[in-house]
Amino acid sequence: MTNGWTDVANADVVLVMGGNPAENHPVGFRFVMEAKRLRKAKIVCVDPRFTRTAAVSDCYVPIRSGTDIAFLGGVIHYALETGKYQRKYVEQHTNASFLIAEGFGFTDGHFSGWEGKKYDKATWQYELDGNGHAKTDPKLEHPRSVFQLMKKHYSRYTPEMVAEICGCTKEEFVRAAEMITVAAAENKSGTVLYALGWTHHSFAVQLIHAAAMVQLLMGNIGMPGGGVNAQRGHANIQGSTDMGAWNMLPGYLKIPRANLKTLDEYLKANTPKALAAKSLNYWGNTPKFMKSLLKAYYGKNATAANGFGYDWLPKIEETGDHSWGAFFDDMFHGKVEGLISFGMNPVANGPNTKKMLTALSKLKWLIVAENFETETAAFWQAKKLAGKDYPKALDAASIQTEVFLLPAANFAEKDGAFVNSSRWLQWKEAATDPPGEAWRDQEIISRLFLELRRLYQKDGGANPAPLLNMSWDYALPHKPLLSEVAREVNGVDLGTGKQLNGFGELKDDGSTACGNWVYSGCWTEAGNQMSRRGQVDPTGLGLYPQWAWSWPSNRRILYNRASTDESGKPWDATRAPLKWDGDRWKGDVPDYKGDAPPETLPAFIMLPEGVARLFAPDLVEGPFPEHYEPAESPVLNSLHKNASANPMLKTYSTEPEAFGTAKDFPFVAITYRLTEHFHYWTKHTSSSSQLQSNFFVEVPAELAAAKGISNGDMVRVSSARGSLDGPALVTKRLRTLLVQGQKTYHVGLPIHWGFVGKVTGPLINNLTPSAYDPNSSTPEYKGFLVNLEKI
Amino acid sequence: MKSNEVRVARFDGYERVMHWMAALSFLYAALTGLAIWSPVLYWMAALSGGGFVIRGTHPWSGVLFTAVIGWMFARWAKTMGLDADDRVWLTRMDKYATHQHDALPESGKFNAGQKMLFWSQVVTALLLMVSGVVLWFPEWMPRSLRLVAIAMHPLAAIGSIAGIIVHIYMGTMSVPRSMRAMLLGWVTPNWARLHHPKWYREWRGSTNLR
Amino acid sequence: MLVAKLIDTTLCIGCKACEVACQEWNDQEYTLGTFNGSYQTMPDLAPNFWNLIKFNEVQRNGAEAWLMSKYQCMHCADAGCLAACPAPGAITQLANGTVDFVHENCIGCGYCITGCPFDVPKLSPASKKVYKCSLCSDRTAVGLEPACIKTCPTNCLTFGERDEMIRVAEIRTRELKADGFKDAGIYNPAGVGGTNVIYVLNDAKQPEQYGLPKDPIIPWTVQLWKGPLKALGAMVFMGSILGAFFHYVVFGPQQEEAADEVE
Repeated sequence: MTNGWTDVANADVVLVMGGNPAENHPVGFRFVMEAKRLRKAKIVCVDPRFTRTAAVSDCYVPIRSGTDIAFLGGVIHYALETGKYQRKYVEQHTNASFLIAEGFGFTDGHFSGWEGKKYDKATWQYELDGNGHAKTDPKLEHPRSVFQLMKKHYSRYTPEMVAEICGCTKEEFVRAAEMITVAAAENKSGTVLYALGWTHHSFAVQLIHAAAMVQLLMGNIGMPGGGVNAQRGHANIQGSTDMGAWNMLPGYLKIPRANLKTLDEYLKANTPKALAAKSLNYWGNTPKFMKSLLKAYYGKNATAANGFGYDWLPKIEETGDHSWGAFFDDMFHGKVEGLISFGMNPVANGPNTKKMLTALSKLKWLIVAENFETETAAFWQAKKLAGKDYPKALDAASIQTEVFLLPAANFAEKDGAFVNSSRWLQWKEAATDPPGEAWRDQEIISRLFLELRRLYQKDGGANPAPLLNMSWDYALPHKPLLSEVAREVNGVDLGTGKQLNGFGELKDDGSTACGNWVYSGCWTEAGNQMSRRGQVDPTGLGLYPQWAWSWPSNRRILYNRASTDESGKPWDATRAPLKWDGDRWKGDVPDYKGDAPPETLPAFIMLPEGVARLFAPDLVEGPFPEHYEPAESPVLNSLHKNASANPMLKTYSTEPEAFGTAKDFPFVAITYRLTEHFHYWTKHTSSSSQLQSNFFVEVPAELAAAKGISNGDMVRVSSARGSLDGPALVTKRLRTLLVQGQKTYHVGLPIHWGFVGKVTGPLINNLTPSAYDPNSSTPEYKGFLVNLEKI
Repeated sequence: MKSNEVRVARFDGYERVMHWMAALSFLYAALTGLAIWSPVLYWMAALSGGGFVIRGTHPWSGVLFTAVIGWMFARWAKTMGLDADDRVWLTRMDKYATHQHDALPESGKFNAGQKMLFWSQVVTALLLMVSGVVLWFPEWMPRSLRLVAIAMHPLAAIGSIAGIIVHIYMGTMSVPRSMRAMLLGWVTPNWARLHHPKWYREWRGSTNLR
Repeated sequence: MLVAKLIDTTLCIGCKACEVACQEWNDQEYTLGTFNGSYQTMPDLAPNFWNLIKFNEVQRNGAEAWLMSKYQCMHCADAGCLAACPAPGAITQLANGTVDFVHENCIGCGYCITGCPFDVPKLSPASKKVYKCSLCSDRTAVGLEPACIKTCPTNCLTFGERDEMIRVAEIRTRELKADGFKDAGIYNPAGVGGTNVIYVLNDAKQPEQYGLPKDPIIPWTVQLWKGPLKALGAMVFMGSILGAFFHYVVFGPQQEEAADEVE
């Protein structure tokens, strides 16, 4: 979230789209209801299903799954056509005025630079002046200004076109657009809440970009009650993202690639240069972040002479891809020897279960650290436990994988911090010790590490240096305290031995160590900031600066400098998170230099251009979001039939990766979560199992009537990948949509069941395709094609 | 022959067992029912193990009672039919109550009052059983039935109990020595001649005294 | 002082947190359900499930509406269960308005089930006693709010002095009316003397849409059984006994003649 849960109560309009917070974030949803109750905020809910969120919304618009960009493009068009956007904000705080290179354009579904398989992004760049700074037209009139290009790009997204693509009516769309653009007024703000309903598409990142564009046009970024707010699905998934991924080191530092052989090369390639005269360009500090991280990893062994141990970091091939789809494809092809699955259940949560199972069966060994025996730990029994869903090749007798199930502690049996959607690091204590032989995660990891290192020391082996040089300075090396780890993550001044107060104190000479620069400040000399529970609210905006600790720098609203105009005057004096008192910025921790007078720097200090990007060339399929159909779609793209799906769509071509067409699979399937369950986990607990004991298939009433299906009848849902059976829940809440004039139906599939647990049911990923977003590599779990039959 | 040396057989063993089974089950059902019926009488529940116990036993005593009533019906229904004399008798009940036996038509084995008691008990037993089953299993019964039963059960019980009060009075105090008929099975010819002249003559005709 | 639970259905998101809180606080055993074609946890309340969110799918002005309403004991001022209950001390009405079942006194007759116009009490086949929401009388006795209130994330549920709750409900109703719900109103049915669980509905003219009875009253047959029939019975029984007694006093027994000979 750019803002936070408590801040949602400041909104005048809440656009809920690609998410269903009433069901999946009911506790956070209290702030939506607070906005509704106390501020008379309007809730706009856009969703293929009439959800529990829709039930309390003021405006519900059903759209076909996967047409969100068309809808948001329509909102952009509507705002620009009617003038309902915050002109001054757009002029001052976005790159609307920036000029784009000659030759940029969009024809027949492709941006300029299309080479048949990928883009040459040469024309997607700013036109630079002699200083390497972007040229601008402050009046936004230049035909190559981002503003004019944007206007032209979205001129196709008329309300009629939105209705044709999305399947809602034109009137429904316009009513929603009117409500959303109320936030264009300087004294109104609107928030956007989204979750996996956006990220589970093959154009997910572009979709969120489109939302960011809407919010920038409305002047909502940096405003209380504004922002683009991702609701995270797990207690600590935000923390997991902050601490790195296959393509990122902690703190969103890029992973080293094999072509960047030295630290200097790495830093040169990954430290951006300012693109505007006054831009602070905070990522220019990348060398400080990176060197401090290496010092945290390798301690004394990291020296300036050895590039702070950069050599020891694992590197990925220059264009290598080790995202979910890629590594399971590698595994499927027998290229992976073993897998450690920690708190992860790929059999249940990976797309195309058959492929997941087959891939695991090719491993030599599989370690699962979990609270329960999950589908992954029991994958070799899939045939026995869920027989008809899987091929004979998956018989236990023919699987040679050796499986180790390590009992791991539950969340309540561990201390440490959860990082919630609001980016708050909230420290908690362990409620109890792990039962039986279960260990806490850090003990499992440490013992594994220590044993591996011992074996390397004893027997040698290939590339022992990364392990041998790793710093492991904990009081009990096999059982580090999470407080020790947290202090290490915060960072320390190696000269004085004192905890750092924040990333502003990081140095690029190896004199500081910091495990994650964005978390720096969470455990200072003053102690553990994450365990604070102060409830004071000096701004009156519900920011609670002394409750836990929020990254970065305990800032509660990101980009808060944009809540004022260039001169420092708040857009809305009643709702100002920051005020310049002539000396310093007061209020929230400024997303700005704390003592820099208003007009010295542009507002978006993290970006090289200093302003927010309406035009974002870093995404792979284009600088503006464009509507593409899902990998499997009932129709061809209304805007450009020859480039129907995402041109940069990521798929794999191995045997089980079949894709279907509307001829055989005429219905649009959506997968989703229910309030009653958490992922594939709570089917092991009695309370959630009672609240929702049964898998079901949601079927639109009109489709059910046509197929003679009554509530409770068993139905079979099949896709090109597989099939599953379940009872039908017939409902009018799934409306018939008119897409390109044709009736289109959704089939709803809640995800929570599997072949082990107190309650069991089919795995819905038997059906899902291995189609991935090219930017984030997230699978397209929503908006694929299925058939439905009564059995 | 001395009258008191002759025994007129009135009820055989089966009938006596039948009657006393009905009487005891009725007594139990009535007392437990009354305990549940009114807080004033709830103390009686304690005599049979408390409210929770009698809630379990009361329905079973009702089942037993109804079953015995069924047996009685099978055995006595024919005898209990009203003839012309009975109908006249019923119009002159006041004469019976004031002991003016001469003003009454002659009764057979059962007088019309007894017959009416029999039929009223058959009807109320039926009503009690039907409504009782509904009340017994409230979780399975539709609400509309329960609403009828909750009033029908006590109404029928009031009728039934009132009848039995009169019956007990008649069988104990009002008509001396009728108890002996139900306990030991026989009456004296005199007793029979006074209370059931027609039946007495039938007996007299079929009996050879020496 | 009367207390009341206020359920603002317009703020309910059907998250079922109150269901779990109720189960947990009251130490209920969890049971698995069978599919009933709805998001609802189970079709109806159960002896070990006292708090149920009803998911009502209805059409309003041609559009979908999904009305969530928490269902539990209404704690009526004129409690039908209490009117019907034959076991002294099995149902008590506390000074704060709570209608509470005292299970050691419950005889399991199930009359309360029939007496209740909301069909709330449920007979347990295992213990043969009847169970329902106690308004967490064990919590309210020490000044805590009921468990469901404590856990509600959206302020749909509030608890407090009854007059205050009615005042809040009235304010909320005015807000809803201003927001275009012209039939918004309070559900506090007069037929049972008002309830200590009150609802805000955005269409109070159609409480059935929320799974609430339109005009709940204590059924007249239950009132008959509790009142007039008792009097009638007492009169009939006393009349019969006294009648017999005085008959005996006046007329004495029917003596057969002292004829010694069998004719």
